[in-house]
Amino acid sequence: MPSQWSRARAVRWGVPVAAIAVVGAAVGAGPVVAAVQGDPSLPDRTAEQLVADVLKAGHEKAPPAMSGTVVETASFGLPALPVPGGSSSSPMSLLSGSHTLKVWYGGDGRVRLALPGPMSETDVISTGKGEAWLWQSDTNTATRFKPAQGAAKADGAEPAQSALPTAKTPDQVAAEILKVAGTNTAITVENGQHIAGRAAYQLVLTPKDTSSLVKEVKLALDGQNHIPLRVQVFAKGTAEPAFEVGFTQVTFSTPAPENFAFTPPAGAKIQEKTIGSPAGEKKPGAAGAGQEALGKDTKKPRTFGSGWATVAEVPFSLADLSKAPTSEQGKHGGDPARVLDTLLKSAKQVSGPWGSGKVLQSKLVSALLTDDGRLFVGAVTPEALTAAAGQK
Amino acid sequence: MSTVRSAETATPPDVLARPAEPHAEQAAGPGVAVAVPPRRGPARAALRLLRSELTLTFRRPRNIAMLIVLAIVPVLIGIVLRVVGGDGEAPSLITQVAGNGLMLTFVALSLLVQLLLPLAVAVVAGDAIAGEASGGTLRYLLTAPAGRTRLLAVKFVNVAIFGLVACMVVALAALVTGFVLFPVGPVTLLSGTTIPLADGLLRVLIVTGYSAAGMAALGAFGLAVSTLTEVPIGAVAATVVAVVFSQVLGVIPQLAPVQPYLLTSWWASFDGALRDPVATDVMTQGLLVFAAYTVVCGSIAWGRFSGRDITS
Repeated sequence: MPSQWSRARAVRWGVPVAAIAVVGAAVGAGPVVAAVQGDPSLPDRTAEQLVADVLKAGHEKAPPAMSGTVVETASFGLPALPVPGGSSSSPMSLLSGSHTLKVWYGGDGRVRLALPGPMSETDVISTGKGEAWLWQSDTNTATRFKPAQGAAKADGAEPAQSALPTAKTPDQVAAEILKVAGTNTAITVENGQHIAGRAAYQLVLTPKDTSSLVKEVKLALDGQNHIPLRVQVFAKGTAEPAFEVGFTQVTFSTPAPENFAFTPPAGAKIQEKTIGSPAGEKKPGAAGAGQEALGKDTKKPRTFGSGWATVAEVPFSLADLSKAPTSEQGKHGGDPARVLDTLLKSAKQVSGPWGSGKVLQSKLVSALLTDDGRLFVGAVTPEALTAAAGQK
Repeated sequence: MSTVRSAETATPPDVLARPAEPHAEQAAGPGVAVAVPPRRGPARAALRLLRSELTLTFRRPRNIAMLIVLAIVPVLIGIVLRVVGGDGEAPSLITQVAGNGLMLTFVALSLLVQLLLPLAVAVVAGDAIAGEASGGTLRYLLTAPAGRTRLLAVKFVNVAIFGLVACMVVALAALVTGFVLFPVGPVTLLSGTTIPLADGLLRVLIVTGYSAAGMAALGAFGLAVSTLTEVPIGAVAATVVAVVFSQVLGVIPQLAPVQPYLLTSWWASFDGALRDPVATDVMTQGLLVFAAYTVVCGSIAWGRFSGRDITS
């Protein structure tokens, strides 16, 4: 009897074990399904053909209407920043951690980006009629951006087009681009990627310069539409990307038109802003936020080196920054001055023939703030920065 | 408590009179159920048991007290907001309540779903089995044929209904307070879109249902803990501690990879219903997490309870 009894008990405990196994299998099913699906069968392309395809796609027709979910993950190796962690909807929070963005694109400059946070949301809506709205639910503020008259629309594909040099066909342009890039970058193509359920090519750009902190940049392009689906930046000596932004879900169909209309809700604060130059129309994107914060007071930037090892010198003083208006956003976290303060606390004191200063190194970017008020920034090793500081 | 249980008539008197023989029943398994012809359909018997469980749960003074507290909190929030008024410094969700009473429901639920609602559910769930065991009434409950699995299922449904009622109490109290103290009109969603009041009420329903599903998952966890002990307060405390612990894990940024697997991370995701379009992907994922917790914890509870020696 006892043995029978214990066997019955073992059988009973088998049920929860099986339940856990089923749930575990369901959780882990995604990668397995992707693996079972096998490599997608896209025709092989060389880097040159692929770039030509992309140019052709950008040249002949506008990017297709689409909607999807974008996940941005940044692990720059920065110290813990005083920005709201987790899934806050403050744009500054994109500097660290992982974040989810919803994207809708309806063609004709109609774009909506939504950054959801806990019981809050930040939306950027470009209506396609020459105005854009920024809606921040946590401050109940709607900001209307209008371009100054005559300013051209700056949108996804256009920079690529305007960058077209005198060459005639996309193939020639592709060859030219690759020739220029090839001087400091090794470019290869990986076929057979699955990204957001789409078969994709992946362009791998590997810097040749040894002082660069960037190991490689991977740009995944949709196999059909040649839309960028994912960008990964790998730092030297790491297997996980230091920065990654890519679709986790994407649909190539026209989103509902309600997404691109915005009427400020009753009771919201409404602000009006005019954008002077087309460049200002840039969305507060992932990479932009950090650079804008650092380079706000740019007066006379100089650069040293070229390609991946470019070092930028910016006149900079801490006093300026602490005086800078920090807007109401600061109260909800993500105050630029406080972020910088935290960064500087973790900086390392260095000195050399060029003077002395503080070096801050992350996985991808190093910064040197000299005591005489110059800031050197580059995706290079600190040694390259101090070398640049030595050049007069 | 045992006096309360004896007043309950879920088990027919003749079955009650039979001596409790847990070991014999376990060894024989469901065969006993075949030996005793069921007096009525098993579904009706289960329903009867559920009804008596619900009566017990909702007549128990401490449960009533908890529901009253849950109802008072939204009223208090409403009164404070009405008296103090939403100045410009407050988070906009609070200021929005001043503009629209319906928002009070979402504010109240987002506050209460973190601790007070889980606490109430943990008390009922932790008490479900351990309370009967410590009161000495469990063995009588189990003398009925087709016993343990059905009893466990009924206990779970009971806890889930209590969670739903608790969420509805919060939502209703907040709705009434909001309608009385504040102007009510079209609702502004988190995405800045304005929807008519009727749609707003529909979203209140979605939010309440989603919260109740989250509470049911916690109820399954509490029930599993409850089968492990004969000390009800221990089961309740363990459940609450698990909730608090999981919430602490949820705020440590370095543990971000773990957070999607925590039950507590998904409770507040009802805010997906306040977006335009509704964030169905996030909420579906939340519901799947709730279902996974319910299945795993429920099966653990079953594994433990169906094979346990009932000594009290």
